[in-house]
Amino acid sequence: MRSRDGNRNFSLRLCSIIIFSSLTLTASEHLISYKYIVKDATLYNETLLISNAMTKCNGTPQNELILLNKNSKNLKQLIFENSEEFIDYMHKLGLHVEHKETTSNLQNSSTTTLTLKTTCFKVDFNDNFARIAPLK
Amino acid sequence: MRYSILLALLLSVSSLFGADKASNATAIEQTNAELAAVKAAATQAREEATLATIQATKAKEDSKRAIDELAQVKAQREEELASMAAQEQVLKENRSIHISVVGQGVAPMNTSSPAQAYALAKRAAIADAYRAIAEKVKGVRIDGQDTVKNMMMQKSTIRTYVQAMVKNANVVETTFKEGLCEVEMEIVISHSDFAQ
Repeated sequence: MRSRDGNRNFSLRLCSIIIFSSLTLTASEHLISYKYIVKDATLYNETLLISNAMTKCNGTPQNELILLNKNSKNLKQLIFENSEEFIDYMHKLGLHVEHKETTSNLQNSSTTTLTLKTTCFKVDFNDNFARIAPLK
Repeated sequence: MRYSILLALLLSVSSLFGADKASNATAIEQTNAELAAVKAAATQAREEATLATIQATKAKEDSKRAIDELAQVKAQREEELASMAAQEQVLKENRSIHISVVGQGVAPMNTSSPAQAYALAKRAAIADAYRAIAEKVKGVRIDGQDTVKNMMMQKSTIRTYVQAMVKNANVVETTFKEGLCEVEMEIVISHSDFAQ
């Protein structure tokens, strides 16, 4: 016959396994790319592309971002609701900068392109928040 | 009669001796004059030689002074270069460099609200700041081309190109005034970021 303490440990383990498996099962992988073009000091074009990963991504999650979530499972919707925060986060992850400037007969024109190359992100959806982390 | 002849003979002989003496005196005078001329020439030559030696020593001193001045200028230049190198920020091991830049951006003309204008101008200013960071850290490629035809400038073109990957840049301050947004950004670069 089991003691009371032993049963308690067993139930705690079982609960933790269920919670952990539920968390891992809700995790999904998404491919995100971001690009914006500034022409002559004015924003010209901005593109944020999000899609589900068709194949499994390799790497470990790093520098995670936690966004407030209202029981949603749609990443696009979640990112558009928190676009400013997510764009700041992408700036911190690192962007490729490409700048071209031409001065012809004393007339200047410039184009700056900032790009986040397509990166695989692991996203964990929960009831009140979502965790987003790039896989590297 | 005999005596008269003898006297005449004596007179003629004496006159002959007298003529020889006169010619000898003129020769001596001539040689003396030549000697004096040679002596004068020699003294002149000596004076010229002394003048030339003085000039040569002066020239030597001048050249020595010029060499000294050149050495001094070189030493000063080296000192300046050394001080400049000391002032220039070089990324050493276990050290980090703090870079701060200001980017400027303008809102587009067709914005629906001031908030949108601010957001778009800020985005443009951030891109400009990123460009400035990339220029400072990685450098700029510059290409120039001038076309001259019939001694007249036809076209002048300067192209600049920057390409870099910027990570962990932070926005420090944002100001928005009369449609112009200024963003101050900073980045801390450590040696380990570049270590392979």
